[in-house]
Amino acid sequence: MSRFLDWNGHGWIALGLRLYLGVVFLLACWHKILHPASFALDVATYQILPLELVNLQALVLPWVELFVALMLVLGLRTRAAVLLVNAMMVMFMVALAIALARGLDMGCGCFASEGGDDPITWRTLVRDGTWLAMGLYVQWLDRRPLGLDRLLTRRTS
Amino acid sequence: MRGLTLVRDAGIVVAISTVAAFSVNALRHDGIPIVAKEPYRILVPCPEPGGDVIPLAPADVRWGDAADLVIDARPVAEAGSWSAPGAQNVPFDYLDPVSDDKLSDLLSTRCDRVVVYGDGDRPDSGEELAREISGHGVRNVHFVPGGVAAVRTHLGAQVTP
Repeated sequence: MSRFLDWNGHGWIALGLRLYLGVVFLLACWHKILHPASFALDVATYQILPLELVNLQALVLPWVELFVALMLVLGLRTRAAVLLVNAMMVMFMVALAIALARGLDMGCGCFASEGGDDPITWRTLVRDGTWLAMGLYVQWLDRRPLGLDRLLTRRTS
Repeated sequence: MRGLTLVRDAGIVVAISTVAAFSVNALRHDGIPIVAKEPYRILVPCPEPGGDVIPLAPADVRWGDAADLVIDARPVAEAGSWSAPGAQNVPFDYLDPVSDDKLSDLLSTRCDRVVVYGDGDRPDSGEELAREISGHGVRNVHFVPGGVAAVRTHLGAQVTP
């Protein structure tokens, strides 16, 4: 088990996954930041959050996605970034599962708003689950992330 | 300790994101209030409990036989001017589904299948009502394609002004 954890290949696989997740989150945040009102409507459509928290979520979440995406791509505070990615993926999956269980016929709001993207299905949930699995891989197996983190560690040591 | 550092870093990212989000929102002309003042008008279609229905030609309907419960899905006024023999009028309304009680009353007869006909338009009120009834768990629900026009042609009924 220890040999598996110490395998050097994890860093390279994790680098690929990090870059992929970083691009996914960059694509996801773009429309939300440009059109906060549309995204707020998407958040409200899930009918999960109380009205008082809808706009707060719609405003802050895309910026968290943006910073996290940049951190993943640059390899800066990678483990904190991927912790946030995993937390967001769990949050998205819970919201999707509730909407699907209620039988709501609506767009995901993940990459575009106002139903402009594909309607939510169980496949959307599987897709998010796959991204969560990627995030967990990076979280657990990328011990010394390639990127700015490693450069900064070298300089200080 | 390492876990705490991780959570602290994540918290810092969220805090910076919040400050950035609020600042940009305050500066932009199409910014939104941090707390929504009015509920959003969300348009999420309700799941329709539609079930499977089977088309049935007028010639295959057992008109006047209690084994076939024939339902006319048109509005009361239209059904009042002409209706197939033995048909019961249950007007179809998208916004006012048939209640369970009403359905129980209808199905208390000794019928072995339900046949619905409607206006024959697109969508056909007969087919829609048939789906609604089937969605309540009723089996053997049929509709007559072409609606009342097809029924009248088959039965050779005369229009009553």
